[in-house]
Amino acid sequence: MHTKAKFIIGLATLLALHLMLSMPIHAHGVRIHHTVDVVVEITAAYDSGEPMAGAQVSVYAPDDPSTPWLTGVCDDEGRFSFAPDVSRPGTWTVRVRQAGHGDIVYISVGGSSDTSGRASGYAPLQIVLMAVCVVWGSVGTALYFSRRRR
Amino acid sequence: MKTPFSILTLVLMLVAGIMLVGCPSDEERTGTLQFYAEGEERAREGLVSKDGWSISFDHIYVTLSDITAYQTDPPYDPYTQVTVDHQVRVSLEGTYTVDLAKVGSAADPRKLVGQVSNQPAGHYNALSWRMVKAASGPAIGYCLLMIGIAEKDGEIVEFTIGVDQEVEFRGGEYVGDERKGMLEPRGTADLEMTFHLDHIFGDGLKPADDEINLDAFDFEALLADPTIIDLVEVHLGHVGEGHCRVIPLG
Repeated sequence: MHTKAKFIIGLATLLALHLMLSMPIHAHGVRIHHTVDVVVEITAAYDSGEPMAGAQVSVYAPDDPSTPWLTGVCDDEGRFSFAPDVSRPGTWTVRVRQAGHGDIVYISVGGSSDTSGRASGYAPLQIVLMAVCVVWGSVGTALYFSRRRR
Repeated sequence: MKTPFSILTLVLMLVAGIMLVGCPSDEERTGTLQFYAEGEERAREGLVSKDGWSISFDHIYVTLSDITAYQTDPPYDPYTQVTVDHQVRVSLEGTYTVDLAKVGSAADPRKLVGQVSNQPAGHYNALSWRMVKAASGPAIGYCLLMIGIAEKDGEIVEFTIGVDQEVEFRGGEYVGDERKGMLEPRGTADLEMTFHLDHIFGDGLKPADDEINLDAFDFEALLADPTIIDLVEVHLGHVGEGHCRVIPLG
């Protein structure tokens, strides 16, 4: 068989296979979609070990530390669970209070901590520009003196 | 004739100048931090001790020094950490004797100890302070001096209870109705040193086997020997409802 004919047959075979595999298969298919939610569960107790049953819980998202994102109460075992919004990564704050006693716990969500530390006050563009200016100034000074020596 | 090098340098300098003019000044990035001392209603209105004495206070003098606020990330945990690892620290210089039995003002019953201006904005989520012996004034020689009247079954006792044990309190974020210490640029935020007197006297309105009463003292025992108050064990100092680590001094 000619090489050209072999090539055409091979191409046709590949095309047929492609069409077969691309055709919808009408059967009793099953599709399972899944999502992974982060669920945080806390357990609050007094130093004596007594659960803080019915204690007030306030949850704060990292990007709004002043307004509770969620409020609720602990169950009889002092447990409280919630699913933080993973699109708001950082340090989530959970405050538990009851009858003049309370505590706060911090939970990192999304792999990055919040930015509660001191800000430099400069935008990233400003920092980059300042760095470029410093480098350019150094290079320029070096070039200036190297030119004068010639 | 200008070379490309010099033209580029001029352009860069011009752009840098424009950008730097737009940078916020120190004043635009800072605010005022206020420090309060608070003995709560028990200090101002009185309490019932675990052994049934109705106590009212004329004065509760606490002498405070080395008052310091911190921005900590990760947040300071007084239960597990001794030192307060911080990114920003703000100190209120000086030593102050404050009377917790007196109302601070009509608007705010807490006692304003002092304030510091032009401090970096951010969340001040840790606080430490020392209770030291007063060097002068009505509480001289004492870190804590409580003066008042107690009554039980018709018996009335005038008392003066003094403590001269110097300690340092280190607490995390304030725990209360609202979050505190969030200092916005050009704004004002406050932090609070809270003193829980029921940790000394107990609470006669609660059952005898309540945890607060198990650890507190009988008032009559305090009258007989005020030195039984160990400020390291009592955990008098709080940040709102949040407990502090207590470090003995000296």
